[in-house]
Amino acid sequence: MNDDRRFTAEAHTYLDGAQTGPVSEADRSDADRLRSAVEAYSARIAAPGRSLTDAVMERVERRGKSKQPVWRWVFEPQPIRLRPIWAPMMAALLLVLWLAVGNRGPEGTPPLVMAGADTVFVQFRLVAPEASAVSLVGSFSDWQSDQYTMGREDGGVWSLTLPLAIGEHQYQFVVDGQRWVPDPTAHAQVDDGFGGTNSVIVVGPRGVVRS
Amino acid sequence: MEASDGSVVREVLAGDAERYRVLVDRYRERFGRYAVALVGDPDLAEDAVQEAFVKAFHGLATCRDPDRFGSWFFRILTNQCHDARARVRPMEDVARLPLRARDRTDATVDRKELADLIEQGLAVLTPEQREAFVLKHVEGRTYEQIAALTGAGIDALKMRVHRARDTLRDVLGERL
Repeated sequence: MNDDRRFTAEAHTYLDGAQTGPVSEADRSDADRLRSAVEAYSARIAAPGRSLTDAVMERVERRGKSKQPVWRWVFEPQPIRLRPIWAPMMAALLLVLWLAVGNRGPEGTPPLVMAGADTVFVQFRLVAPEASAVSLVGSFSDWQSDQYTMGREDGGVWSLTLPLAIGEHQYQFVVDGQRWVPDPTAHAQVDDGFGGTNSVIVVGPRGVVRS
Repeated sequence: MEASDGSVVREVLAGDAERYRVLVDRYRERFGRYAVALVGDPDLAEDAVQEAFVKAFHGLATCRDPDRFGSWFFRILTNQCHDARARVRPMEDVARLPLRARDRTDATVDRKELADLIEQGLAVLTPEQREAFVLKHVEGRTYEQIAALTGAGIDALKMRVHRARDTLRDVLGERL
C-alpha cells in the first residue's frame, strides 16, 4: 500500500469519533467521505426477516413431527425418559418382582437391576446429535474415559444408567473421544483445575439429592 | 421480563425445542445485518445465518456457558459467514474493482453508488479486517463491545480496523 494513502493516527482517532489533535485537510476530507459511504451502505442492509426464524424452527423440529404408522412405533425401539429420582424406585420395584417370581434363570445369572445397599441407579443424559461417540467420566471411574460408554437414542440423546455410591460425585462427558463437556443440566458446576468445568451430582439413599 | 439466554438454553436442552425460537428471533435481529455485510449477499447471508442457527441447536450441549450463548453463537455465525463468502466470492483483486465513480464529480456520486463502493471495498479486506470493520462502522459498536463479543484484544481490533480503513482509502479513495 502506498504509505501516503494511510490515515494518520489522528485521523484514525477522528474516525473513531474521539477527541484528537489536528487532522490534515486531505485526511479529514477522505475520512468524512469514507464515513458517508459507510452510512449509505449501512442504511441499505437489513437483518433477515421472521421467515428465517420459521425456517430454522422447521428444521430443528422436523424430526419430532414425522408421522409414522402406529404399528411401526410399536415394533421400533423407543427411548424411555426417566428422571434420575425415579431410578432407585424402579430398581426397587424390579427387585421385588424378581424376588416374587423367583430366580428361574440359569444358576449364577445376576439380577437384571439391583443396586447395592449403598448405591442407587442414576441415569445420565446428554443431547449431542452430531456426536459419534459419548462416554461418561468422573470421580467414580477414576476419570478413565473408556469405562462408561453411553448409548445413543433417537433424537441424538446419549444416555447411560449406572449404580453410584451415595455421596457427591463430579463428572463430565467426553464427546468423540476428545472434547470434555460438563452436563448442561447439572445444578452445580465446579472448576476442574485444568481450565474446564466439572458437573456435580449428589446421591442420597433415596436417589439423586442434587444434580 | 425477557428470559435470559441461559434459562432459554436450559429449557431447550431439557427438551423444549420450541423455546429455541426465542434465541433465533433475538440473535437474528442482533447479528443479521452483520451477517449480510460479512457475506456480501443478502440471500447467501440468510442461508448462512440459518445454517449457523441449526448448527448451534445441534451443538447446544457443548455451549459451556449458556448465559453467554450470544458470544458462542456469534463465533459459529462468523465462521459460517466467512465460509459462505469464501465459497462463492473469492477475495477480490483490487485492480478489477469497477471504476464507476472515478471520472465523476462528487455531486453526481449518489448514495447508492457510495454504498456499492463500500460493498466492493469490503471484498478486498481479509476476513478479520472485514469482521472488525463491519462491527465498528456498520454496526456502530465500541471497541470494548467488539472485544467482549469476539474475545480479541482491543489493540488487535484497532489494528484490524485501521488497516481496513487504510485499505479502503487506498482502493476507493479516488472514487469516493
